[in-house]
Amino acid sequence: MMKNTLETVREILAKKYSLPIESVTPEATLESLKLDSLDLIETLFEVEDEFHIRVPQDRGEDVTIATVQDIVTVVNKLILQQHPAPLAGAQRL
Amino acid sequence: MAGQSGIHLVSADGPAGQHFGLAAPVLFDPEQHFAPGQKTDSLDRVSQFSLAAAGAALRDSAIPVNTDNAGRFGVSLGTGMGANKSLEDAYIQLLLRDPNRMKPLTILTVMNNASAAHIAMQHGLSGPNLTYSCACASSAMAVGEAWRQIRHGYADAMVAGGAEAMLTFGGFKTWEAMRVLAIADRNDPSASCRPFSKNRSGLVLGEGAAMVVLEEREAALRRGARIYAELVGYGSSNDPAHITKPTVDGQARAMRLALADAGMNADGVDYVNAHGTATALNDVTETRAIKQVFGGCAYRLPVSSTKSMLGHLLGGAGAMEFVIAVLAICHRAIPPTAHLDVPDPECDLDYVPGVGRHDQDVRCVMSNSFAFGGTNAVLIARQADT
Repeated sequence: MMKNTLETVREILAKKYSLPIESVTPEATLESLKLDSLDLIETLFEVEDEFHIRVPQDRGEDVTIATVQDIVTVVNKLILQQHPAPLAGAQRL
Repeated sequence: MAGQSGIHLVSADGPAGQHFGLAAPVLFDPEQHFAPGQKTDSLDRVSQFSLAAAGAALRDSAIPVNTDNAGRFGVSLGTGMGANKSLEDAYIQLLLRDPNRMKPLTILTVMNNASAAHIAMQHGLSGPNLTYSCACASSAMAVGEAWRQIRHGYADAMVAGGAEAMLTFGGFKTWEAMRVLAIADRNDPSASCRPFSKNRSGLVLGEGAAMVVLEEREAALRRGARIYAELVGYGSSNDPAHITKPTVDGQARAMRLALADAGMNADGVDYVNAHGTATALNDVTETRAIKQVFGGCAYRLPVSSTKSMLGHLLGGAGAMEFVIAVLAICHRAIPPTAHLDVPDPECDLDYVPGVGRHDQDVRCVMSNSFAFGGTNAVLIARQADT
């Protein structure tokens, strides 16, 4: 079944930390979900497997991840960097 | 008390095959011990055991932890190998799968103080947080050193004990390689661990955790605590000559130091929970050490090895056996050395063979723990004078 990045990230967070899915909104801060920096590292580890991407050790000083949407933004950026097929497809049109 | 053992034939899977062996496994359902939603992913089995035992001990102690006393309430835990399963899994990932996909919290899961850290976190204890690792004496040391923390004024109360969870493929294989594991009894595998018996063939690995709450005596009396016993003596010595070979003098010295610490003579001890591993070396050496310390009283002194039923909890053994010794006082009962069928002329004390004894006058107990690496730790507890 096809799922978008946001839905997949929401499901990972809800399942891993036993959170009601409706609380895991894009705007929800990790702090409000009672997730700390170690939880974020573990979440990114699962996200890497799910999307077949690798989050670089140096995420860059300008990248702060405070909300669920921030995770989605980072993931989408990495998907396009590491799996450029969608971009290549666009060029063929 | 009935001499029934928790030792079974078990199997463990590994990447290079399956191991069949003897062990005394704990039937542990984490769901019974952790709230739904509580994060247990990064808790190794050893930490889960530790948290379950510490939680039970703290509830039983009924000491409320609050901002007034948290800073004087600590944790002292002993473990030999710590998070063995998680470490093993990490190396399987590192060496056989993908070294770039190590679990992010591997370090925090396998560090030896993980169990003690989680106990303190769960209960908000901010006093001294100590982890001792001296093989099979680890948790006896942890209890003894916790007691010193209180006696020397650094803490008012301590959760103390130990845990081990080494029934893993690598755990079995490394112990097997040292050739100290018992040979299975063909007719009754549960009878394979036979301390002090002429036909003993070695130790059987166990697992689990045991925790006590130690509290300064007057404070415990003031709040009307249920006092199981008073810890009155702790002796520690080392055998520096060999990494595994114990000495009579080293073990005897630890027992004498504990007696001196308690300010008592050997004839005041009513029961000894022996280290009693069922190895050729330990049982004869320990018997001789007991004779050296107890002299003429040695032959009248009940000495038993509960490892015959529980297996060897390694880093958790000292605390588990200290608890058993204390319960001997509470229940006025002496647990047996199970499966002692064939007397060994070199082991000629009263090992309480077969089944335990009820209605015994047990007011003072000694618990012996002797480790690979040389550490000897002896604890003495007395019926509380309330």
